[in-house]
Amino acid sequence: MLLNAVIIILREVLEAALIISVFLALSQLLNRNLWWMLLALLVGFSGATVYALNLSQISMAMEGTGQEVLNAVLHSVIFISLLIFMISVPHQAHAKWRQLNLVTIVLAVITAIIREGSEIILYITGFFGIPDLLSPVLMGSAVGAGIGLSVGVFFYYLLVNMRTSYGIWLGYLILLLIGGSMVAQAVEFMIQADYIAASAPVWDSSAIISERSAAGQLLYALVGYEATPAPEQAAAYFSSIGLLIVAAGISFMFRGKTS
Amino acid sequence: MKQWLILLSLCCLSSAVIAGPPVIEIEIKDHLFFPDEVRIPADTKVKLLVKNLDPTAEEFESYELNREKVIAGHSEAIIFIGPLSAGEYPFFGEFFPKTAQGKVIAE
Amino acid sequence: MKSIRLFLLLSLLATITLVNFVALLHGYQSSMEKAQSLFDSRLESTARLIASANSEQTMRQGIAEQQTPFTYFQIWDSGGKQLLTRSRNAPEFVTGALTEGFHEVNFDSYRWRNYVYRDQHLNRWIVVAERIDVRYSLAEEVVLESLLPIVIAIPIAALIIWLAVGIGLKPLRQFADQVLGKRADDLSPIQLEKVPHELVTVVSNTNALLGRLDHAFQREQRFASDAAHELRTPISVLKVHLHNLKQRLGDDDEDITLLKTGIERMGHLVEQILALYRTSPDQASARFESVDLYKLAQTVIASDFLQFERKQQHISLDGETAILSGNRFALETLLQNLLSNANKYTPPGGEIHVIVKPFQDGVQLIVEDSGPGIPADQHERVFERFYRFQGDRHDSGELGCGLGLTIVSHIVELHHATIRLGTSSLGKGLAVTIHFPGEK
Repeated sequence: MLLNAVIIILREVLEAALIISVFLALSQLLNRNLWWMLLALLVGFSGATVYALNLSQISMAMEGTGQEVLNAVLHSVIFISLLIFMISVPHQAHAKWRQLNLVTIVLAVITAIIREGSEIILYITGFFGIPDLLSPVLMGSAVGAGIGLSVGVFFYYLLVNMRTSYGIWLGYLILLLIGGSMVAQAVEFMIQADYIAASAPVWDSSAIISERSAAGQLLYALVGYEATPAPEQAAAYFSSIGLLIVAAGISFMFRGKTS
Repeated sequence: MKQWLILLSLCCLSSAVIAGPPVIEIEIKDHLFFPDEVRIPADTKVKLLVKNLDPTAEEFESYELNREKVIAGHSEAIIFIGPLSAGEYPFFGEFFPKTAQGKVIAE
Repeated sequence: MKSIRLFLLLSLLATITLVNFVALLHGYQSSMEKAQSLFDSRLESTARLIASANSEQTMRQGIAEQQTPFTYFQIWDSGGKQLLTRSRNAPEFVTGALTEGFHEVNFDSYRWRNYVYRDQHLNRWIVVAERIDVRYSLAEEVVLESLLPIVIAIPIAALIIWLAVGIGLKPLRQFADQVLGKRADDLSPIQLEKVPHELVTVVSNTNALLGRLDHAFQREQRFASDAAHELRTPISVLKVHLHNLKQRLGDDDEDITLLKTGIERMGHLVEQILALYRTSPDQASARFESVDLYKLAQTVIASDFLQFERKQQHISLDGETAILSGNRFALETLLQNLLSNANKYTPPGGEIHVIVKPFQDGVQLIVEDSGPGIPADQHERVFERFYRFQGDRHDSGELGCGLGLTIVSHIVELHHATIRLGTSSLGKGLAVTIHFPGEK
């Protein structure tokens, strides 16, 4: 039970911690204050609790596809926040853009916590009725959360202590990968809900890196790795990364002209 | 020939709309899947109706099928799978993976 | 990186957590595997035991009494067709396959691990099964007990690291506090109780810098005031000679008048330089006493009345008794300088207005004139030494040395007062507002 709890909590925490630490580091590199994070965490956890408590109603909504649709929406919100964030960064000198930039960060963090936090809450609260399993689950959760948060801390300090320009580039790179993975997951949920027709996987790399393996899990958290992705998923992944790069690039080129 | 094709495709479409994909029920009880082997026709879309009879939540997950869905305690969920090429596709309950194991066999 | 302490705490804690938890998972896994293989070998020996206990050739079919609900056994004939005996909770069908070894099966809403043993002599199959969840949680209970301290240790480690880092950074904090708490004129070396290796060069270099600064500062002050002081005598001598020369050549010689202006200007400059150094806050040995600023202003205006009359300027004093704690000589110099400025830069026939009144448990002094004023962007610069607005090309054609407002700002600082330049209520002239804080 412990190992299982570790894996589940670690996966969720790692994904949220990665987004949060990259945003925290970028805010620090862009000289922003960090108080908004407290607010975002608070709102995020409240949202996650609401989601977890109403899961069955949400699941049953929209002819049984409510959960998939909501998850797809959450993933899309994170992606759109990332997109606007990247567009707004080069225009930091303007108060309006700066404000927009902060809103996107807060929104992305809140959404990430709602998405990952609700699963954690559902998982742990399920064991409150099973006292025999509660202690290994709690201990496993502590271990998983500890590892996930530690990785987040290392990531944050790695980015912050790098030369500022490198830090921003690496932060951007991670945001690109997160963005791609968000859209790919949103598409996966739409396929699962049968809004997008499923087709045969484009490739099968499960023999090389299985999604079950530790490496597969880590790659999933970092770059959204899938061993057997549907063609729509793969297309969404790469085109959304391309969209982010193009949007950020255009915004960067126009950074002088808006003043 | 052309008309035939159009007619044929219309038929397929309407039949799909009217009948919908076949529904297969799976129950979760005491953190076990019943049945733990689901046989479905290959290259056909199937709708899984997963009923969770336990008080605890469970997450239906399969790496091979690319599916994950949390099912709250005492509730049910719908998961579409396929069309699949013939083969075995294991799935498991992520919250209780020691016991909740099963597989879809497409044939 | 905002705080070294937070950085050290978080990065050390993250390292400890990561290393410990990965070790914990490794320990957990190997302990669990060990436990599983122990359970497996127990299952095997149970199967053999059951085989040897049921060694009759012909067996009475039936149900054996069972010991626990977590295990069951079955004995099948060689073909697996006939169930020879079973425990009460065992199924009457073959669970899994009848091949020798371990299998995992679902039965009776539990998952079981069974061991199939083939009795070679009697040609029978013995199946022994154990509930997986039970053996798993049994093993887990034992293993967790031993791993719990690692998890509990993390918050304790966090507390200890926080305190230790705090103690480690104490000299740095003391150093920062001392640098921060230094007054502008305090150039004494920084002293720390214990100086760690890492701070030795920082502290010694800072102290060397402070020492050099102090030295340079003293030298500059001594030089200026000495020079001014030494210049007083020759100027007095010059004045005597000028007087003699005037007697001899008569009052109306143009060169004599020019010479007189030049000597007066030099004398004024020297007096101002002396006043500057006597009133500078670094010389803060000044004695403070209770001073009525209103009365003092009256005295100063009265003694300088001639210069206003010469330019036909109208000067007025408003307000009431305003007592403050200050240095009488310095305040007198302050008033003299402000009034002299107003006199110089206000055109003939202009107006000068002085207000002294108690204000917000302090005292407020306002000197306004109807002169040309100073543009707002110059307000900072006029306090600099030897700076004159528009230089010597000033419209007023007045002579000055550019020290007046510098002296004023020194005196303001000495009294912890605030000074603000603004636009006069008498047209576009200058308004100088000084606020002296009340006594604490």
